[in-house]
Amino acid sequence: MSDHQLPASDALVSARNVAKSYGSFMALADVSFDIMPGITGLLGANGAGKTTMMGMIIGLHAIDSGSLNVLGHDPWHSGTTVRERLGYAPEHHTLPPDLRAADFVRHVAELHGLPSAEATTRASDALWLVGLGEERFRPMGTMSTGQRQRVKLAQAIAHDPQLVLLDEPTDGLDPMQRDAMLDLISQIASEYGINIILSSHLLEEVERICDGVVIVGDGVTVASGSLAELRGTSSSGVSMEIDGSVDDAEQIAAGLCELGLQATATGRRIVVEGNDDTVFDLARDACAARGLGIIRLNRHRLSLEDVFIERMT
Amino acid sequence: MTAANEAQIFDQGYRRYDGPRTGFGGALRSLIVHSMKHALGLGRSARFKILPFVVIAFAYLPAIGFIALAALLPEDVDAQEFLPSYAGYYGAVVGAIYLFAAFIAPLLLCTDRRTSLLGVYLASPLNRPTYLLGKAIATVLLLLIVTLGPPLLMLIAFTLESQGPGSIVEWIDVFFKIVLSSLTMGIMFAALSLAISSVSDRWIVPAAAIILIMPGSAIVTDVLIWEADMTPMLHLLNLPNLPRELIFRIHGEARQSFSSPSGTASLWRESENSTTSLWLAWLGYVGASIAFIWYRYRQLLVRR
Repeated sequence: MSDHQLPASDALVSARNVAKSYGSFMALADVSFDIMPGITGLLGANGAGKTTMMGMIIGLHAIDSGSLNVLGHDPWHSGTTVRERLGYAPEHHTLPPDLRAADFVRHVAELHGLPSAEATTRASDALWLVGLGEERFRPMGTMSTGQRQRVKLAQAIAHDPQLVLLDEPTDGLDPMQRDAMLDLISQIASEYGINIILSSHLLEEVERICDGVVIVGDGVTVASGSLAELRGTSSSGVSMEIDGSVDDAEQIAAGLCELGLQATATGRRIVVEGNDDTVFDLARDACAARGLGIIRLNRHRLSLEDVFIERMT
Repeated sequence: MTAANEAQIFDQGYRRYDGPRTGFGGALRSLIVHSMKHALGLGRSARFKILPFVVIAFAYLPAIGFIALAALLPEDVDAQEFLPSYAGYYGAVVGAIYLFAAFIAPLLLCTDRRTSLLGVYLASPLNRPTYLLGKAIATVLLLLIVTLGPPLLMLIAFTLESQGPGSIVEWIDVFFKIVLSSLTMGIMFAALSLAISSVSDRWIVPAAAIILIMPGSAIVTDVLIWEADMTPMLHLLNLPNLPRELIFRIHGEARQSFSSPSGTASLWRESENSTTSLWLAWLGYVGASIAFIWYRYRQLLVRR
């Protein structure tokens, strides 16, 4: 993104050319993005700068250069105002072991400005919502990793924040627990209108529940926008599965290449590059010319993994 | 009105909140209350309550004993001959006070760094300076339980037993001297113990350091002054005795020695230090501790 590009007016978080270094280590070199309402995935490999970015959104670290706007404020200079409307679930699993879940969630709700009686009620409600209603008076040290992840989610939403930051919320969970946690996050966003930024290095979970994505790599923004936009702007084409052999698929692909198209066969599936509608016609005709049936013919949808690999390379 | 019309839903489950918010003041109050409860083991299992309440009991037991003694003495006996002064009382409990400081300050700071709590606090309306302010207030308030409570209890009990100050003006004067004394000791011990607690994430390390440094400084300075005959100015390095000496000055009492190697009833040699130099040393310790804590927390990288 260029320097003069303005943030989107309804963006929850806008970053423009943000840089941050710790001594000689450059954590973020040039990061620009807009985070819109809904669930946004903050993606990147370990060490890409996701947690640093989260820290700057919360106002834990000042940025070295560029501009950062969170809920209409500079988080470093208006930290109190911003953080009152934020919820945050850290990645670290180590919560005070002897503290009861309900006491912990109530305390965090009070920290975010809820009166004591209201904090007590809402702590209980939040813990019921995340499925820990019966367990809420247990010390957190006696809870499983999955339960502690749920406690962290409960404390992040108990005070009804406008924006919640979840740092690796499925870390340490088994596949079933992960599914349940992702469903829960999705439910919180859709039913209660709470906007969520989800930091993760797992593409499939971001793809499953997120509306938008920011991909950070080596301290720069690799891609940002809605998932639909990212898939649309990346290379795409036509995907065709034929009712024939692997050899048939390879011969059809070769025939399409002779027509000047880029086509590759993988098993009985052929992907032809190009967004023009004539590509559909040419792929269909090539198949019909050989007297083969078409099992499936559709626009080739890129997965987030395709986008990630394409942008990172 | 029918029963159906009177029906209400009490448990509405999780919902949006648009009521009032208490802002920064509420966050600071919550931090202080939570920290104090945590240190005292309230809301935790029984084993976490043992140490704080045993130390508190040690600080109060002499006061309760003196109150009982004052009540049992015959009326024709001058109770003041048997009872310590309000300033002198701290001599009996200073060990319990710095043991309490050694226990609570590391618990308040180290636990948050060792767990995810510091990140959660700094993601709230608090920031580093206000977080540390809350922890400092909590530590001082906790120390007031053992520095203010016993002499205040004695003042009230002696007054009820007709052994207290002679007039209301004198009573108010003693009351304010007790409050100032307890704050003098509480603030200095809180500052020192929090500074030491800022160096490690494991609470046992600073706790052991505080327990060693406090009496260690007293032993070293006493040896240097009494055995090596060095300047009494070195008494300014005697950490437990500096606030005690200031408390004697606040109450306008000459401090009587009961451990001096030169004999009984001799004046402590730190009395040779001026009150100004004692207050400057006190300010130096508190200021240096605050600067060190701030340096440590400004450097601390909170990423998770």
